[in-house]
Amino acid sequence: MHSVLADVWRVFRRQRAALAALLALLAIAVASPSVVILSQLDPEAISVDVLGRPSLAHAMGTDYLGRDILGRVLHGVNTSLLVGAAVAGLALTIGLVLGATAGFYRGAIDHVIMRVADGLMIVPTFFLVLTVAFIFSGRLAFVIVLLGVTMWPQIARIVRAEVLALKEEAFVLSARAVGAGDVRLMFRQILPNTLPPVVAMIALLASSGILAEASLSFLGVGDPNVVSLGQMLTSGLEYVTNAWWVPGFPGAAIFVLVILLNMLGDGLNVALNPRLRRGAS
Amino acid sequence: MTGVAPYILGRLLQSAVLLVFIVTIGFFVIRTAPGDPVLYLYGAQNISAETLAALRQVWGLDRPLAEQYWIYVTNVASGNLGYSQVNREPVSAILLRNVPNTLLLMAPSILLAAAGGVVLGTIACRRLNTPADYIIGAVSMVGYSMPPFWLAIVLIVIFASTLRWLPTQGMSTLGASYRGLAHVLDVANHMVLPVAVLTWWYLAAFARLTRASMIEESRKPYLLTARMKGLTETRVFYGHALRNASRPVLTMLGVYLGTMLAGAVMTEVVFAWPGMGRLTFSAIVQRDYPVVLAVFIVSGVAVVLTNLIIDVLYSLVDPRIRYA
Repeated sequence: MHSVLADVWRVFRRQRAALAALLALLAIAVASPSVVILSQLDPEAISVDVLGRPSLAHAMGTDYLGRDILGRVLHGVNTSLLVGAAVAGLALTIGLVLGATAGFYRGAIDHVIMRVADGLMIVPTFFLVLTVAFIFSGRLAFVIVLLGVTMWPQIARIVRAEVLALKEEAFVLSARAVGAGDVRLMFRQILPNTLPPVVAMIALLASSGILAEASLSFLGVGDPNVVSLGQMLTSGLEYVTNAWWVPGFPGAAIFVLVILLNMLGDGLNVALNPRLRRGAS
Repeated sequence: MTGVAPYILGRLLQSAVLLVFIVTIGFFVIRTAPGDPVLYLYGAQNISAETLAALRQVWGLDRPLAEQYWIYVTNVASGNLGYSQVNREPVSAILLRNVPNTLLLMAPSILLAAAGGVVLGTIACRRLNTPADYIIGAVSMVGYSMPPFWLAIVLIVIFASTLRWLPTQGMSTLGASYRGLAHVLDVANHMVLPVAVLTWWYLAAFARLTRASMIEESRKPYLLTARMKGLTETRVFYGHALRNASRPVLTMLGVYLGTMLAGAVMTEVVFAWPGMGRLTFSAIVQRDYPVVLAVFIVSGVAVVLTNLIIDVLYSLVDPRIRYA
């Protein structure tokens, strides 16, 4: 595995945009939570400075209740980062387990899993999540579960295809010949080798998760107890013509997170997808 | 034709299962919601338990769940999507008013974007790893990553609040009673900003796909054969590579046309465009359950049917699919 990692890093390092995006994301993921925790920023602290322009005291201005927008944006970024990581992690886990099961055992279970995956890829899942969250609960944990549960099919498809191919490889057959059981074969021999194409998807899953959560809270189906960038956007919308900074900065924050993740995803794809690598190196 | 029939039959069956799945999910989501329709309409008002019980009987909510499910399915199948107590009119009437407005916004955006995206993607592939390729890549990356609702806000600030060139809200000027050409121009004027927002996103998606698909085609050995036959580079490129690369692009065009009804929620909300997306938003705010569900079902059905049509068309054109 070590040489594979080194190999991937060698190709990835040359994707300058993706490398910059990775560094920027790491910086944000370290800085934003630290600032919020260390300074004990209260995102709900109001002041008499209502709809104040960006200034030295308030770098992003203040909103209609006089709350500091920079502080709220940092809180919102933390929420978004959490959503992105959790949704990607959940979709990845479900996709790995179901895809591997389908490819390893074939037969009826394969058929059922893949038909459900097909169905989820066709049905407008954003509307499904919107409807369910609207009727039941917009709590952040629930929204994360809903998004994760609807976003696994692509992962499952990739994993299944890889498992199908790997199952017949000599190293798997020889492990089986010396008496390795199903579970051991799956975890020690097959799954580690399905990871590269799947890892390339993580950044894209995180970016769609962040965008979906922002859209849900933009539509008012979000967690009222959490500071969310999408929710800041909607509530600031009516001030767009006279105080552009109220909806402007939260939107810019979403854009920055999403574009960094997409750039990272493109770079990972080139580094990890063997079909693209031939052209890149 | 013997090869095509079983494939089409299978796809029809699959689509039917998906349609039932969508309606079933819709039904059970609304029926497992906390409270029942009577409660969420009149629960807050001071109405006696007997009246509520009588209402439940009139609306059939006291019957077994299986029977209610059957009634719901047959209703949906016959085009009856329920009654919006909030708006006091049938849901289908509300939808019929909103669907055309959404199509008016989406169809031009997607078609414009598809044409432009294919051109940009092709240029990027022809000039791979040159400044032209990088610029197109950067523009697509920005368009693809920009949340539509935020791009809308940026455009409103620039073109409406600052330059005062274009209107920002609605589909026509309030209070103005334009007729004929003046009305058309007024609506077109209101369309410019939302269409620009939608087009940029779709343009980016089409450009990225076209480029990737062209790069993949241009590595295939049949292009070498074509060159060996002595065809010019232009013929090889546009006659062979682009033609084969267009298949995934056409598939995506079909998929986007299928998701048109559901695709513009954010943009419509920001621009107060009276379409399906705006309807969804106001239904959520007013807690109008039947409308939210109807939007889910109608947009789902549209997607499933479009996918079916695309697949059947392809199976007739491309022999490789039937045997796959």
